[in-house]
Amino acid sequence: MLPASLDEAVDALAAAPAAVPVAGATDLMEAVNAGRLRPAALIGLGRITELRGWRYEDGGTAVLGAGLTHARMDRPDFAALIPALADAARTAGPPQVRNVGTLGGNIVTAAPAGDTLPVLAALEATVTLARAGATREVPVSHLLTGLDPVRPGELLTWVRVPLLHAPQVFLKATGRSGPARATASVALVLDPARRAVRCAVGAVAPVPLRPLEAEAWVAGCIDWDGSREIDPAATAAFGEYVAAACVPDGYGAEGAWEAVTEGPSAASVRLRRTVSVLARRALGRALK
Amino acid sequence: MTSPTDIGAATQQDGDEGGAPEPFGLGSSPLRSDALPKALGIYPYAADLWAEGLLWGAVLRSPHPHARIKGIDTSAALALPGVHAVVTAADLPPGPDGTPDGAPAGPIVADRPVLAAGVVRHHGEPVAAVAADHPDTARLAVGLIAVEYEPLEAVTDPEQSFTAPPLHPDGNLFRHLPLRCGDPEAVGEIVVEGLYQVGRQDPAPLGAEAGLAVPRPDGGVELHLSSTDPHGDRDRTAACLGLEPDRVRLVVTGVPGATSDREDLSFQVTLALLALRTGRPVKMTLTREESFHTHTSRHPALLRYRHHADAEGTLVKVEAQILLDGGAYADVSAEALAAATAFSAGPYVCPNVFVDAWAVRTNNPPAGQMRGEGALQACFAYESQLDQLAARVGVDPVEIRRRNAMATGDPLPTGQAVTCPAPVAALLEAVAAEPLPALPVDDPDAEWLLPGGPGGAGDPAAVRRGIGYAVGMVHMLGAEGEDEVSTATVRVSGDHATVICAAVDSGQGFATLARQIVQSVLGVSEVYIAPADSDQSIAGPSARGRHTWVSGGAVERAALMVRHQLLQPIAANFGMSVELLQIADGKITSYDGVLGMPVAEALEGKELWATAQCRPHPTEPLDESGQGDAFVSIAFCAMRAVVDVDIELGTVRVVEMTVAQDVGRALNPRQIEDRIEAGVAQGVGLALLEDLRTEGGVLQNPSLTGYRLPTALDTPEVRIAALLEERDVVATFGAKAVSAVPAVVSPAAVAAAVRAATGLPVGRLPIRPEDAVAG
Repeated sequence: MLPASLDEAVDALAAAPAAVPVAGATDLMEAVNAGRLRPAALIGLGRITELRGWRYEDGGTAVLGAGLTHARMDRPDFAALIPALADAARTAGPPQVRNVGTLGGNIVTAAPAGDTLPVLAALEATVTLARAGATREVPVSHLLTGLDPVRPGELLTWVRVPLLHAPQVFLKATGRSGPARATASVALVLDPARRAVRCAVGAVAPVPLRPLEAEAWVAGCIDWDGSREIDPAATAAFGEYVAAACVPDGYGAEGAWEAVTEGPSAASVRLRRTVSVLARRALGRALK
Repeated sequence: MTSPTDIGAATQQDGDEGGAPEPFGLGSSPLRSDALPKALGIYPYAADLWAEGLLWGAVLRSPHPHARIKGIDTSAALALPGVHAVVTAADLPPGPDGTPDGAPAGPIVADRPVLAAGVVRHHGEPVAAVAADHPDTARLAVGLIAVEYEPLEAVTDPEQSFTAPPLHPDGNLFRHLPLRCGDPEAVGEIVVEGLYQVGRQDPAPLGAEAGLAVPRPDGGVELHLSSTDPHGDRDRTAACLGLEPDRVRLVVTGVPGATSDREDLSFQVTLALLALRTGRPVKMTLTREESFHTHTSRHPALLRYRHHADAEGTLVKVEAQILLDGGAYADVSAEALAAATAFSAGPYVCPNVFVDAWAVRTNNPPAGQMRGEGALQACFAYESQLDQLAARVGVDPVEIRRRNAMATGDPLPTGQAVTCPAPVAALLEAVAAEPLPALPVDDPDAEWLLPGGPGGAGDPAAVRRGIGYAVGMVHMLGAEGEDEVSTATVRVSGDHATVICAAVDSGQGFATLARQIVQSVLGVSEVYIAPADSDQSIAGPSARGRHTWVSGGAVERAALMVRHQLLQPIAANFGMSVELLQIADGKITSYDGVLGMPVAEALEGKELWATAQCRPHPTEPLDESGQGDAFVSIAFCAMRAVVDVDIELGTVRVVEMTVAQDVGRALNPRQIEDRIEAGVAQGVGLALLEDLRTEGGVLQNPSLTGYRLPTALDTPEVRIAALLEERDVVATFGAKAVSAVPAVVSPAAVAAAVRAATGLPVGRLPIRPEDAVAG
């Protein structure tokens, strides 16, 4: 099925609730080809042009179409709007994948290493889920954690992101220079209006994690009225704080000898070091 | 780079300009004929094959690394509409000695069942196969085959293999090779020790295994495959099917770039069996995951070294223990072990060398041929040792290598004298003399690609630059008494020539080279290379850089014979000897310019044919103390790696690799540079990225997302400092094989550079980010 408008798509989904909506198909077709997924039917969203752009709403919110591709989000006009999302889109994969892979697809696939997810978590974005005759708004984090999942017949249509007009950073650690899956990623945004720093760590857990205490603490260390300066020691401490909050002692120690030893496992020490460096560098770049 | 001075050099530059004639003859750099189709995506690979009324094959693979098969129930699969055949080991003809469940197969040692019978010994081992009228039906049917396994304890640590109960009737030890050379009591003033580990690299060919089998009316079968050893594969397939070799024809088609043997005997025998069973053509294309399961990988290795040297750093003694994990089946482990042992001291002179090397069986995926098997693992270890020694003596890494460098005539620890050119010191000088790439501080305006890539997390303040050197060696052609031979036929008719040779161009450029040889000898510009198949005369596998030598030699001899046939009557006519005539630009001219006759006219409408063989001098197996003239010739290479390391995140970017290589003679400079770049890319991949991980024998990352091949951003600039052309007098054209040695040396060079940047003892390949975090 290839609906040409949002309404048609929602109707098609209502008529065939077992059908799977498909946009860029970069994750879906891989699963189909590998025989892990046999969808009863597919609803192609590629023709719904209204979902491929964005619009603005009162109150400083950008409403992003679920069909925005990573390549589109990397363009300068979008990067000026939501820089961290542009950074995440740019590093999300090879050009072939970024040309077709969409924002909505990244959210619905909800891979632990999904690059846009920590950014959306840090931005406290919400998503619009549409079904025939009704829509509802759900925070991205509720969707990802399964607190409020997508229900049968619902289609993810829009992503609401607040425009903060302040520095934002997305950093990811990989083992290579070419595009790769993150071993850890950190998204950090400044919200000068609320005098807040919001941060999310991706790829270390099934969903992005928010170190709320570390955010609150570091927000108090920043001189918001002046040049937004911070003591370098506080930046470093913030890194450690985030890492300790997001990586548990027993990380990666399933049944291994590390599980019975006391203190953090070797894997968790390594991952904490990585997360701490990323968080420190992210804060440093945001306040530069 | 040195410029070629031989035939065709004058036309070499012309080739790069528009409208100029195609480069011509040896020493020039024509483009490979399949380069454009492959770049444009229109090259037909084996997966594109088609035959009317074909069936689709699929294979059931073991989910266990080690298990007893208690029963296989194929009834549900057979009952599925559209399924034409389901085969298991019981359907294979008995082996020559009457063993049920089919003859085992494999190069050198036949110990690998085509389909597992009674026991599976590695994750992904084929157990049964299906032919059906649709690929999805075939896969569904595979899912319906019920196999009852009794999981057994998997031996996955090669060190445990010695004491573990035998995993195979042949036992767990593929080979133990002791090497005893010199005085065991010798000691040096300085002693350095190290333990080195090399992970599992996979050739990961982008063209996954695919093929088409067509039954023949005479009861035989025709296989269309991307084989790199048509005759060997034909003979082994025929043996497993209980057929005469001439009932099996193997047509080579759609070979992707192959850096190892493409052979997967189980794949082709199963395919042929399904075609014979159903009487219809059967096509099979493996998925990416299956591809990782089916072809052999590089031997994971554990190497323990102790170097003794005097106060100046001159080597006194090398002691080593080398352990190669051969996986579940023997394959070429014995051969890889010979290379690791013979080259264990590297391209250095050392009077006393004592090595014990083992290749053992485990329940890990089988390891086999892959650019410089054995030699690569040893190179990483001995070069790491030399760096340690340099630090202890307090000299430069280049200096310590220069002091010990091997030269022509020096002996290997196997007692064999290196009679081919061994310009080790000259290669080192060449890489050391090259200017270094700029540092970001020298050019702050330029956009620097930091470790972690563009838009990555790299921070210039945490980036340290390191420079490392390495030298290495690898043998060419089969070793230890293997019969190396190739046959080629050259035909001339009208204004063009044809080469018929079963040597497969697996990306090494043989087809281009054969064309150049015939152009040089016969002066004919249009040379057609016939596709390879097993009905032609034997040429042997495309491996160990042998085709330039053996098949190139055969083509040259055949072309010279044709030339003689062509010129003899003319020379007799004019009362001059053949040597006074030459052929160029399609014309035969005499030394004095009196005669000028087009080749086509001289032929008088005849066709001239000649067939010739090339068989280099024989070698001998290494004896019980590792002594013997085991190798035909050896190629050397020196490299300098420049890396940037983000020492907080441990991310590494190789900025540049500078290469000086001993090529004997540059027959096609562009192709040599391509091969060096390919070798460096593969070596850098092994050094930093590529690791096919197993957990209790189960593959963890059999996909191109999980198995990280280097991308353009991970691959460094390759600077060719020199292609040293010192002719190897016994080799065809004096040329040496060029593909393997860059892959052998580059991991060691990258490791040395990372060590220099971080100050950490890098003892494991690939280098993980956590191995490069310093400070």
